[in-house]
Amino acid sequence: MILEPQKRISEKALTVWRFSAFIKVAISWILAAVVIFFLHRFHVPLWIIVLLIAVELIFTYFSIYLIPSLKWRRWRYDVREEEIELQEGIFIVKRTLIPMIRVQHVDTVQGPLLRKYHLASVIVNTAATAHEIPALEESEAEELRRFISNLARVADEDV
Amino acid sequence: MFEPKRLHPIVIVLNIGKRIKDFVFTFIALFFIWNKGEGGKLVLIAVSAIAIIAIILTSILSWLRYTYRLEENELRIEYGVFVRKKRYIPLERIQSLDITEGILQRLCGMVKVQIETAGGSGKDEAEAVLSAISKEEARFIQEYVAAAKNRSVPEVEVYEDAPQQTVFKITPSQLILLSLTSGGVGVVISAVLAFLSQLDDFIPYEKLFRGVEQWAVGNIILIAIVVFAGFVVAWILALIGTMLKYANFNVMKTEHDLVISQGLLEKRQITIPLKRIQAIRINENIVRQWLGYGSVIVESAGGSARNKDGSKVLLLPLVKVQSIEQILKPYLTDYQWDPHFIPVPKRARSRYILRSWFVIVPIAAIAIAFFKMWGLVSLIFVVLFTFWGLLKYKDAGWSLEQQQLTLRYRNIVRTTVFIKKNKIQSLEVKESYFQRRKELATLEAFVKVGFGGAGGRVIDMEKSDVKKIYSWFSRDDEKGD
Repeated sequence: MILEPQKRISEKALTVWRFSAFIKVAISWILAAVVIFFLHRFHVPLWIIVLLIAVELIFTYFSIYLIPSLKWRRWRYDVREEEIELQEGIFIVKRTLIPMIRVQHVDTVQGPLLRKYHLASVIVNTAATAHEIPALEESEAEELRRFISNLARVADEDV
Repeated sequence: MFEPKRLHPIVIVLNIGKRIKDFVFTFIALFFIWNKGEGGKLVLIAVSAIAIIAIILTSILSWLRYTYRLEENELRIEYGVFVRKKRYIPLERIQSLDITEGILQRLCGMVKVQIETAGGSGKDEAEAVLSAISKEEARFIQEYVAAAKNRSVPEVEVYEDAPQQTVFKITPSQLILLSLTSGGVGVVISAVLAFLSQLDDFIPYEKLFRGVEQWAVGNIILIAIVVFAGFVVAWILALIGTMLKYANFNVMKTEHDLVISQGLLEKRQITIPLKRIQAIRINENIVRQWLGYGSVIVESAGGSARNKDGSKVLLLPLVKVQSIEQILKPYLTDYQWDPHFIPVPKRARSRYILRSWFVIVPIAAIAIAFFKMWGLVSLIFVVLFTFWGLLKYKDAGWSLEQQQLTLRYRNIVRTTVFIKKNKIQSLEVKESYFQRRKELATLEAFVKVGFGGAGGRVIDMEKSDVKKIYSWFSRDDEKGD
């Protein structure tokens, strides 16, 4: 489109996303194992079981490898004096523009996984919408939060 | 006015009514559980008696404890039977005062005042509700608040002569047309169905139907007539309902507000501060569009979660679309009422049609697979959906004029939304892989309306057009081109 936003999120985000995807995938494998066990007991044709395993394998590849790296490659953001610009999405690319004067408040959020890698997400709230910039370096997130809330305070308009 | 005051005692009756309504299902449940044997009946009567006495007592007590006063530029309300609560609302914070007259209130010449602030506590109710106070007092509070907000000396006389202009008054023929073309019928029918499903537990439908089934086979025509009559009655009820609701519809403009009053049995008055208007929307359902009519809705910030009326207000229930500009231009001066719409490009048409097929084509395919010849009937729906998709394509468009973005699109009804640049909370552009190949993109603008957001979305616009709007909204100059 016009110019892409320039800044990328932390590369460690990849590790975090892969790890949380790994947990999901592990759970799905356990479920699949249970299902396969019962399918086998009730003498369901073998090809159904094979199909199930194939689907699981594809799912594993997608969620642990492909999706995180595509997501990371697409994720860009820019925080300028007067506005915040975000770009995200794998198949559907979404660009969002948030004027600084519309920002109501900024949060930083940090789950256990993010904390382990010293990362944090920044959530920008307007009166109508909320936008998350995921997985930034802790210090960067903190700095960003302060930067945005300072600028947001300056510009005080009617809602 | 500055000493604590109580509401009119009629509130006790209102409270009792409300509480009994809340308890009624518990009562019914208890009735079925305990209505066995003599002992059970006795317990039942005792419990009901205690409950009713408790309800009456707490209603009286809560009325006694509920006081309000205007003090130090705050509206101070104190209430609560067991836990005493105080709520002080700074007058400048008050966004709107809505005045309603229910039937009970009208009997004793009272009105109900709902007070709303911008933040809202996220609860169901308005920030504060004075359920029954006299009309004079309501007016006094209104003027007092208005005066406080103007930061002038809080003297009533100053504000009393504020010029009032009538913006719009509904005519009888408009009222009739409004009722005829409103979707109220559906509401009534679904209400009746919901009511019947509630009765499910009490009426032995199954037993009833076994006998009915045999009878029904012989009387299909009679049943058809009864069903048809039911629909007609539902429609007439809806008609009367809409008429009562919008009778005497009247819009006035005071110095800073739009004041809407409406209703025959239950009168409502809604105040919308002009400054709080976020967007204006024209809705045309297909019948009205064909007749050249539409309705105008004002979306404003404020309003509480349940009281959605507070944030999306019908400003003109039904008017000729052509005359909207003429009616509103003198009062909402900064809006561009007759923008030149630019349609979405021709190559978007196939995508609009495809999207309309997503749901209906698989259903039709299944229907044909299962019902063979009869399944072909579903093809009618495919045609209808295709037509609908084409209609959506035809209606989609946008316009950019100075400080205003105008979007037009159709979901069920055709919507035209007028948004000023400085009211847009955020702007979103989406391109899917397929859109990218066709150089198309989807544009969505968000505005604040009550709780959360609303706005407008046009699918499959020309990419260069989207770019134009994007850089129009961007405040970063170097990105302009």
